[in-house]
Amino acid sequence: MLDDIASLTLQTAISGLGQRQRVTANNIANSETPDFTASTVDFESALASAVAQGTPQAAPVDVTPTTDPAGVNGNNVSLEHEFVNATKTTLQEQLLTGTLTAKFNWISTVLKG
Amino acid sequence: MFDAINTAGSGLASYHTWLDVIADNIANMNDTAPTSGQVFATHYAQAAEIPNGPDGVGGGVQIVGVTEGDPNGILTQAPNDPMADAQGYVRTTDVNLSEQMGNMIVAERAYQANANVIDRAKATYEAALSIGKGV
Repeated sequence: MLDDIASLTLQTAISGLGQRQRVTANNIANSETPDFTASTVDFESALASAVAQGTPQAAPVDVTPTTDPAGVNGNNVSLEHEFVNATKTTLQEQLLTGTLTAKFNWISTVLKG
Repeated sequence: MFDAINTAGSGLASYHTWLDVIADNIANMNDTAPTSGQVFATHYAQAAEIPNGPDGVGGGVQIVGVTEGDPNGILTQAPNDPMADAQGYVRTTDVNLSEQMGNMIVAERAYQANANVIDRAKATYEAALSIGKGV
């Protein structure tokens, strides 16, 4: 009941979002570093197929460098893009943790009778 | 744990160092030296990425060194300067104030961006810490 597909999917997604937040922080920290290439995180597509196979926890998190054109100092970080990502990630994380807590509350209700 | 905050912290530290270097450059922009010696040269902070961890996520940014401009500066005619040589020349610095002011704005905004990231990362971690609250 505590390790069903829904809970495992939520947990995997939360850890993927955590990874995305770290990558975004790294991109912003290096927004002025010469020859730095920004990275993005994708876990949603792998998670969707892993859920279909019934093993959401096996979904990998992919960190890939972006191919956006670099500026004069060889750096391709877009601050606007990164802040949109950071905001979205925070909201998604709150949504998923809220959902997980709601699920635990529901289990708790069942246990208390 | 809480790596995003550390990463943004490395950004704050690096941009703070850059601001310190800029402040030093501006403070010394009117230095003079006799032509027999060397004068203050513009300092440039060199930033580099902290290499990726095993999971492919970088650890932030660091200042790896400070390089200097031309210690010969610019030969300037200033016969009233106490350090002027027989021909009336002194060495003045190669600090370019417009460049330094431009860099200062970049460093300041980048510092603010990283402070902002700490706020957002904190909200994210708080969400994670609230899992199961009230159950």
